[in-house]
Amino acid sequence: MRTGHLKTSPGQLVALSDSPAVWAWVGALAVGLILLPYLVGNYMLTLVVSAMAAVIGAVALNMLTGQTGLISLGQSGFLAVGAYANAILLSDYGLPVWLTLPAAGLTATGISLIVGVPSLRLKGLYLAITTLAFSFIISHIILYSEGLTHGPNGIFVKGARLFGYDVQRGWPLYYLALALTAGTILAALNLTRTRIGRAWIAIRDHDIAARAMGIDLVRYKLLAFAVSSFFVGIAGALMSLQLRFVNVDVFGLILSIEALAMIILGGMGSVAGAVLGAIFLSFLPEVLRIGFSLVTDPNSTFYTNYVYEIRGIAYGLVIVVFLRFKPDGLVGMWRDAKKYWSNWPLAY
Amino acid sequence: MDFLVLLIATGLVAGATYGLIAIGFALIYKATGVVNFAQGELVMLTAYIGYSLAGAFGLTFIPLLLVAVPISMAVGLVLERIFIRPMLGEPPFAIVMVTVGLAVILRGLIIVVWGSQPANFDAGIPTTVIRLGNVPFYPAQLIMIAALGLVVLAMWAFMRFSRYGIAMRAVAANETAALLTGVSVSRIHALAWVLSSGIAAIAGMLFAANFKLAPDLWFQGLKSFPAVILGGMDSIVGAAVGGIAIGLIESLSQGYIGEGMREIAGFIVIILVLMVRPYGLFGSRDIERV
Amino acid sequence: MKTIASAVLGMLVAGPALAADPGVTDTTIKIGDVNIMTGPAAFVGRGFSVGSKVAAEEVNAAGGVNGRKIVVITEDDGYVPARSFQALTKLLEVDQIFALNGTSGTANVLAMMPLITEHKLPTVVSQAPAPVVYTPVRPTVFTFGATYENAFYAQLKYIHEKMAKPDAVYGLVRQDDDFGKDIEAGFDRAVKDFNLKAPVRIRFKKGTTNFSAEVAQMKQAGVTVLANGGIFAGAANILSEARKLDMPLIPAEVWSEGIPASAALLAPAGYDYLVGDYVSLNGPANEKFRELAKKYVSEDELKNISRYTYASYIGMKALIEAMRQCGKDLTRACTVEKLRGLKGLDTGGLSAPVDFTNDKQLSGTAVGVYQYDIKSATFKPLTGFVQY
Repeated sequence: MRTGHLKTSPGQLVALSDSPAVWAWVGALAVGLILLPYLVGNYMLTLVVSAMAAVIGAVALNMLTGQTGLISLGQSGFLAVGAYANAILLSDYGLPVWLTLPAAGLTATGISLIVGVPSLRLKGLYLAITTLAFSFIISHIILYSEGLTHGPNGIFVKGARLFGYDVQRGWPLYYLALALTAGTILAALNLTRTRIGRAWIAIRDHDIAARAMGIDLVRYKLLAFAVSSFFVGIAGALMSLQLRFVNVDVFGLILSIEALAMIILGGMGSVAGAVLGAIFLSFLPEVLRIGFSLVTDPNSTFYTNYVYEIRGIAYGLVIVVFLRFKPDGLVGMWRDAKKYWSNWPLAY
Repeated sequence: MDFLVLLIATGLVAGATYGLIAIGFALIYKATGVVNFAQGELVMLTAYIGYSLAGAFGLTFIPLLLVAVPISMAVGLVLERIFIRPMLGEPPFAIVMVTVGLAVILRGLIIVVWGSQPANFDAGIPTTVIRLGNVPFYPAQLIMIAALGLVVLAMWAFMRFSRYGIAMRAVAANETAALLTGVSVSRIHALAWVLSSGIAAIAGMLFAANFKLAPDLWFQGLKSFPAVILGGMDSIVGAAVGGIAIGLIESLSQGYIGEGMREIAGFIVIILVLMVRPYGLFGSRDIERV
Repeated sequence: MKTIASAVLGMLVAGPALAADPGVTDTTIKIGDVNIMTGPAAFVGRGFSVGSKVAAEEVNAAGGVNGRKIVVITEDDGYVPARSFQALTKLLEVDQIFALNGTSGTANVLAMMPLITEHKLPTVVSQAPAPVVYTPVRPTVFTFGATYENAFYAQLKYIHEKMAKPDAVYGLVRQDDDFGKDIEAGFDRAVKDFNLKAPVRIRFKKGTTNFSAEVAQMKQAGVTVLANGGIFAGAANILSEARKLDMPLIPAEVWSEGIPASAALLAPAGYDYLVGDYVSLNGPANEKFRELAKKYVSEDELKNISRYTYASYIGMKALIEAMRQCGKDLTRACTVEKLRGLKGLDTGGLSAPVDFTNDKQLSGTAVGVYQYDIKSATFKPLTGFVQY
């Protein structure tokens, strides 16, 4: 395994990766993902699409929380805005899906600026609670603006067609989700390498120092809100396409907390971490379900009485145990493994 | 006029609940720098423990408190030992997430042990209506207000005069410096959890006595966030004042505006307050140096 | 080697031989159930699940549906619509269910609706019989149960005609969602029909526990008949506040207050409240059901039996009857057709007879009004099942 990290030009420093091996693996992964609909069943595909929506959301949240250091508990609010914008434009106004998806993102961006401006002075958990407050207010507004959002009745999302294919089910939906996910990840990776990404990281590490270096805090913080919310909005739109129904109950607070858990479990501040964390937490319930059905009889009284709840407990336990032993997250684990290989047989 | 007085009275009761729960948050935040997302679950767990104790021994309120509060403190200690202590020195974010995991675990555990059906739990308090002037109260509601006052007073005295209280303030002010002067930081962290659990037990049992006992009681933890923020996250008096303020605002906004406003009025208020004072009404401002 | 090859061959031949539709083999029929098995509302979901199970075991003990045993597969959705969607996908794709009985809450059944329509899945909704479920009518969805609108209209009608004084003042507290809207529709209809004095209507958010301000508003308006849209602890807290304010009140409640657990919560307030329900809450039919259930489910599950259990039991009975009428060649299309023609199915007094022969594919809309008697801790029927 390669160990050298000698760089001779600034261009090399910001390259996405200088390792042919990494590119080869990414290529293999891409081929695997493209072939996936031929390899797995519909249920698996549904789970994968849900996971992809989670990945987009987590990568977006990572821009705001992981890279800029602005903790947000308002994820569910922005997901709801994106999903509702998509649903209303698609079902009530009959716009094509290639227009409604970016529109959903932009709507979320617009709302995020309203949230962002009063949040500029806040830090840490004060900010987190303020964003939480906004997500409560957003869901209240959705519930009470019946003319626009159909209030408590919710909206059935239908008529999303792309190149003649119905992109709300099966493999067309999967490929749409794949394209959106790949696009989001690429955008996030590229943003990290630009002036903007570096400004965000400087703000996270120390905002006063960043300001002293000439970084316009207002501008870059708002930019972080705007860009992050755009992608969260897209994630919400994707959720609404898959579910084919939106309602305020769909966007509970739990989504905000899960999104934070994803980026922390994955490894804060890293795009790969957000992706891994989202995949991990999305599939954890399924893994637990299969695990429990192997060790207990699903028809037994014990199962019907306790196992559903115990599965929930196990979910919490996995998070706790994981953080206890790997506080750097999945990415930290991967780094350790890599280090172990490169240094073997010497420990350090 | 009667209507206004009634709204103020009920607002005070609701506010006392928020205040008590918020003090639990503030204590842990002050000593450990971590927002305990499992505080609502802690309130729920200790309420259920009190419920079982009262059921098993048929205790009235004061004996129940004397038994349930120490047991809850022990539970707090155990939870801190198992879940929080091993995380000492890790980034605060990871610890906050551990409390989120703990919250999920406790929620499930409570339903496994006690079931999901809501229950009556009077905490050994009579339910005869008491009239103060023209305003009716349930005894449990008056006890709630009194409990808030007593807890604030006790915590103030503890922080002011007790050796451990002073150590706790030292840790809150500067953890490293406190460590250098010989304060056992990990013991202070444990103490914060223990005290917070004890207060959670009082809040939880009184809440259940007023509003039934159900496994969605943890939601009160979230509902108390505005109180914590309004008061400033590291101030105990602030948490109490914040709680009362939020309770009054909610009650009045529901009474005069309606339309489900109560549930979001608190959140609107904290957004407005934080725009003016980004560290709450009583919170200490961080002085940052580059 | 040979044995493996023949086994594989055998499986290929025997597997999909007879059944054209998923979920049916020569010996079994798989019925799905998506329900709330976790979280604070789990006791509702569990009560519900028991009903499907009892109906299934009952018919299995009698030889099954044309020789096929019914297997009920329950998936948890924790009352989260997105998870209901996933759970039903799993039931359809992995377990390959034939039909669905057990659909969780209103938002949850709506989230599953696109899948149900797409797979032409025979579905009986008896858990959340809201108008949004059958408007528009989905071809394979059959709804059993009255609306909250009817349930409240029935109660208010009874109160107006038999109980209240002529100068009674009517008030409404309801949740700010589709469920609350239904209740308000019933309230409005009663107010209009009987020309009632109704000065206050209050909306509250789901999950509210403290209703002091709402009840203070009621008190100020002089309300004497309360349409209480709170559920479980919420309903109890509203009445408890009313007791504190010393209000003479006739409360009309949601049918969730017709289960023993809720009754125990509401009793300390001291009001003999009313409930309108489309299933029987007390009577010989309920005793008979309990005896039946004892044979098939565990002691733990018996405790979960409530009105929700009767509703899902009836839903399953209807499904079973339709499948039985299809005979040996069981298909989804045939089951739907037979459900559409289902008429006069006797439920042993647990509800009015099932009859889906109408445009809305809706039955069980007849409502009985009950009053809870605190002293004897029982529900007393005030009216039989009547259409409103």
